[in-house]
Amino acid sequence: MSTPIDVLVVGAGPAGLAAAIRLRQLLSTTSRDASVVVIDKAPQPGYHALSGAAFEPACLDELVPGWRDDRRFIEHVSTVERDEMVFLLGQRAIRIPPPVVPRPMDHHGDVTISLSRLVGMLADRAERAGVELFSGFSARSLLVEDGRVVGIRLAEVGLAAGGRVKSNHGPAEEIRARVTILADGSRGVLSSQLRERFGAGRNPQVYSLGIKAIVRFSGENRFGAGRVVHTLGYPNPASVFGGGFLYSMGEQSVAVGLILGLDWKYGDLSPQREFERYRAHPFIADLLEGSVTIATGAKTIPEGGYHALGRIAVPGALVVGDGAGFVNMEKIKGIHYAILSGMAAAETVAEGLEVAADGPVGLTGYARRLEERGVLPDLRRARNYRQSFRWGLYAGAPISQIQRWLPVRLPMEPDFRGTRRGARLGLRENGGMDGATFVSLTGSLHREDEPAHMTILDPGRCQACEADYAVSCTHFCPGQVYRWDGERIVLSASNCLHCMTCAVKCPLENIRWLPPEGGEGPRFKQM
Amino acid sequence: MDCIVLVKQVPDISNIPEDAWDREKGTLRRAMLDSILNPLDLHALTFASRLTDGDPEARTVFLSMGPPMAREVLVDCLSRVPGEAILLTDNAFAGADTGATAYSLACAIRRIERELFDGRRDYAIVTGMQSVDGDTAQVPPQIAEELGIDHIAYAKDLRTEPTLAIRRIASEGVEDVHPLRWPILITVTACTEPLYRSFARAREARRAPVREWDAASVEADPTRIGLKGSWTQVYRLFSPSEVRPKDCELVRDPAELVERLAARYHSAAPGARADSDEAYALDGREPTYRGELWVFAEREGEGVRSVSLELLGKARRLAGSLGEQVGAVLPCDQAGDRPEALIAAGADTVYVLEHPLLASFDPLAHKKAIADLVRERRPQVLLFGASPLGRELAPRVAYACRSGLTADCTRLEIGDHRKGTTELVGILKQTRPALGGNVMATIMTKDSPCQMATVRPGVFKVPAADPSRTGEIVRPPVELTPADLGLEAVPVESFASKISIRDAEIIVAGGHGFRSRADFETYLRPLAQGLGRLLGGTTRVAASRMAVEDGFTTHDFQVGQTGQTVQPRLYVAVGISGAIQHITGMQGSEIVVAVNKDPKARIFDYADFGVVGDIETVVPELIRATEAVA
Repeated sequence: MSTPIDVLVVGAGPAGLAAAIRLRQLLSTTSRDASVVVIDKAPQPGYHALSGAAFEPACLDELVPGWRDDRRFIEHVSTVERDEMVFLLGQRAIRIPPPVVPRPMDHHGDVTISLSRLVGMLADRAERAGVELFSGFSARSLLVEDGRVVGIRLAEVGLAAGGRVKSNHGPAEEIRARVTILADGSRGVLSSQLRERFGAGRNPQVYSLGIKAIVRFSGENRFGAGRVVHTLGYPNPASVFGGGFLYSMGEQSVAVGLILGLDWKYGDLSPQREFERYRAHPFIADLLEGSVTIATGAKTIPEGGYHALGRIAVPGALVVGDGAGFVNMEKIKGIHYAILSGMAAAETVAEGLEVAADGPVGLTGYARRLEERGVLPDLRRARNYRQSFRWGLYAGAPISQIQRWLPVRLPMEPDFRGTRRGARLGLRENGGMDGATFVSLTGSLHREDEPAHMTILDPGRCQACEADYAVSCTHFCPGQVYRWDGERIVLSASNCLHCMTCAVKCPLENIRWLPPEGGEGPRFKQM
Repeated sequence: MDCIVLVKQVPDISNIPEDAWDREKGTLRRAMLDSILNPLDLHALTFASRLTDGDPEARTVFLSMGPPMAREVLVDCLSRVPGEAILLTDNAFAGADTGATAYSLACAIRRIERELFDGRRDYAIVTGMQSVDGDTAQVPPQIAEELGIDHIAYAKDLRTEPTLAIRRIASEGVEDVHPLRWPILITVTACTEPLYRSFARAREARRAPVREWDAASVEADPTRIGLKGSWTQVYRLFSPSEVRPKDCELVRDPAELVERLAARYHSAAPGARADSDEAYALDGREPTYRGELWVFAEREGEGVRSVSLELLGKARRLAGSLGEQVGAVLPCDQAGDRPEALIAAGADTVYVLEHPLLASFDPLAHKKAIADLVRERRPQVLLFGASPLGRELAPRVAYACRSGLTADCTRLEIGDHRKGTTELVGILKQTRPALGGNVMATIMTKDSPCQMATVRPGVFKVPAADPSRTGEIVRPPVELTPADLGLEAVPVESFASKISIRDAEIIVAGGHGFRSRADFETYLRPLAQGLGRLLGGTTRVAASRMAVEDGFTTHDFQVGQTGQTVQPRLYVAVGISGAIQHITGMQGSEIVVAVNKDPKARIFDYADFGVVGDIETVVPELIRATEAVA
């Protein structure tokens, strides 16, 4: 029997690692020591982390001073020197004059980073601070006893497709801890369970899918260094929220991506195909000419904002980062809020541990600390932003400029209700990277004879989806996991990118997603 | 029974990021690959836990040789199975080839026996049969040779009651082996369902002490370790030819396709791609090595394995440019008429090592017979076919003769090389794939009396038998006693018809284009048989991943990134779209034919010939055509 765990952090992303690092820092100044354990389902820290990202680095100066001296990380960090917004029409591009660009979208002072690399750097720091970090363990459910979160349960291992128990079968291990910090990211399995059990926000949580590629120039970098471009319009129809981005990643690489609100109405919209259409637009294609795609990926972003925040502090647990929903869509930023929330959670837990030498730990003051660190005030300012776009881009743009002064909470529908019966975008062949190659560049791997980790709850209902929604999952999954053979869905589970789109977007709420065995999934090394 | 499990940290070649390729230099940036525990060592760990199962006294010691970061794989092992961990680490070990590595590990094993097992000898050493980066399978048999113990290679199962029996894959089939002496070294194939890490163990393992031993602490002779102690040296790394899209010839008429295909198949025979050695000439210079060029002749039934004849043909050509003689070495209990066949294939002398104890294959007995002869007659080259038997015998012979060995060569040439100020003349340049075929390495032997290599079957052509050739048959005395044998082998089943898809010369693969399992069977099998009869090659039916997911066949027949990689002479892709994950599994095929109803299917970019059409229409016509032309 191993030593008991004081604090268990589920998820080694920016929020989870910030919490763990801060906690060890605080503990080292007190007489009381406590064990801080972080688990993560990816094979290595950062391999399931994906973002743009244009990032506000001030929080790192507080959390991990000296981070600018970490050469391996810094060589991939660029200061933003050029910042533009562009409106794309079919073939043309119109630059939006700087005075018209909303203030929150001004990125001067930001840096562009790869989130995967940031997480790798934070993981190193965490290990050095005495955090016990274990990659390759998947958490599937919360352990709740008498209304208190007492730990988590991991995925069972060693089953064959069809459920046969293999000779190397391992039961679903329980990990118990005095405090559990849920940092399991966008549409995280455990934070979703917590919301269901303890209370969701006034608005449902809603999401966008971000789909992106890293391209590299072997010769001239036509895009340039230190540059940030955001685009609106093409290829998203006016009814589809989102837009595109291009961020310099060092001297020779560019991150190019497209964001699409998951409440889109078209049953046959394929985000991967839309992304290729985006890359084929003359403005984008020209900027990226001569480059080669070296990595791809996709992940959802929680966008419900302030009104979608559910219970984030419950007996025995706190929720941090994307799992709670601390993303400000007005700025399209979430990473520094994740880090700040992790620090706030750590301070809350440290205070609780000071008071209670053993047994249950009281968790008070989390919300207050989130206020003090500016997380809640920023989210409050953007509280109606995403909802403004429910009625499309042209109505949404003006509303979004006055949203913070509206005295009401703008409501929001859950994303799966967005798909409209019979609404079709129409197949538009455009070339570009095919789906299988896109998946191969994510590096995603799963044991081939593992039971599929996603389940069609009632396969009988899918037939109706063919006429109504074009068997939507066969289009919306960027990993091409879902195939329709005329009668039922055939799963290629080993393609899964863990992006969580299917859990959100099935129009019939007919898909359940759980993490597979630990150590599987995509390998985002520079996303 | 105690166990020592040998494990290695290797680069993860299952997932090579695009930007790890340095396409200009044609090499792989190894630092950009993840480091993992060698997958076969996971099987070794699981196998060892079955050996120790039920014995509460049994100790398991994990041993690895590597830089300090290799500690991670030892912690990984302890996260799965309780035990102790030792890392053999020292700058002096750097640059070691298989022989120097084997020596270093053997020194550590001796120390484990002395200090951890209190001198007890009843233990097993278990390891994966090869690593994914070197993949020579040489280190384990060479460790056994250094320790003077028996080894059992290609283990796939075990039984502990009534006594220990290890089931292994031998050349002719499967056999059960009973060790008669201890310690014993066992190398395992991918035969287990590997044990997982548990969180509880992982947490303990993180705190467990990993002992670090350096060269001095295991009493390693400094002249036998590291680059200095190595008997081979890599002097060139290059990229195998990149996958280039092919120019597909689209043919309308299936009958015409079959005709063109047959013509192409027979013109591009194997060996044509590998040979380029006739050009070398000594021109009166003094060569670095002198002596005969020998080939180990492996028995098969009443005759000789085809690969031995292929190597005789090659040795003939190599010897010609050096003006030397060719010898064949035939360990056996009764030579029969094999010597005549060997002479007809190119041998000038056949050394018949005849002894009753050489009737069946015992590695130690065969090694002793051959090594004694090598030491006596001093050939400059000794070649072995890289059959399962060759791959476990050659390392022991090489090590016993203090000579370098290069495994699985795809090219052999005589050439010159300047090494510092020394000019090496007329040496054997040995080229082989490494890192799972992602990189090619050219290697030369150094500080050795003999240059030894193993070569995969099919790389060289079987020479036409020339019965008019004459040669000498010599019968040197063989000194063997029953005490030289340490294993008792009991055959279990023979292989006769079990060719895996990897060995087939012709593969017909089906994909998602089929509507049902019945269709899959109905169309593919007859096509494979027809082509096999027409072209005269062994055939197998295979599948893409989608076809396996659709339930048309099992994973054993899957070709692709997560299935098997195949390099047949002919690959026919029926109803396969050509996703990149599939292409990587068959891109090494000599001739590719694609049948697909979508003219834009990606598979056509990687095919030599293609037919656009429905499977139900095209395939029956192809089958008819194979019967007609035949």
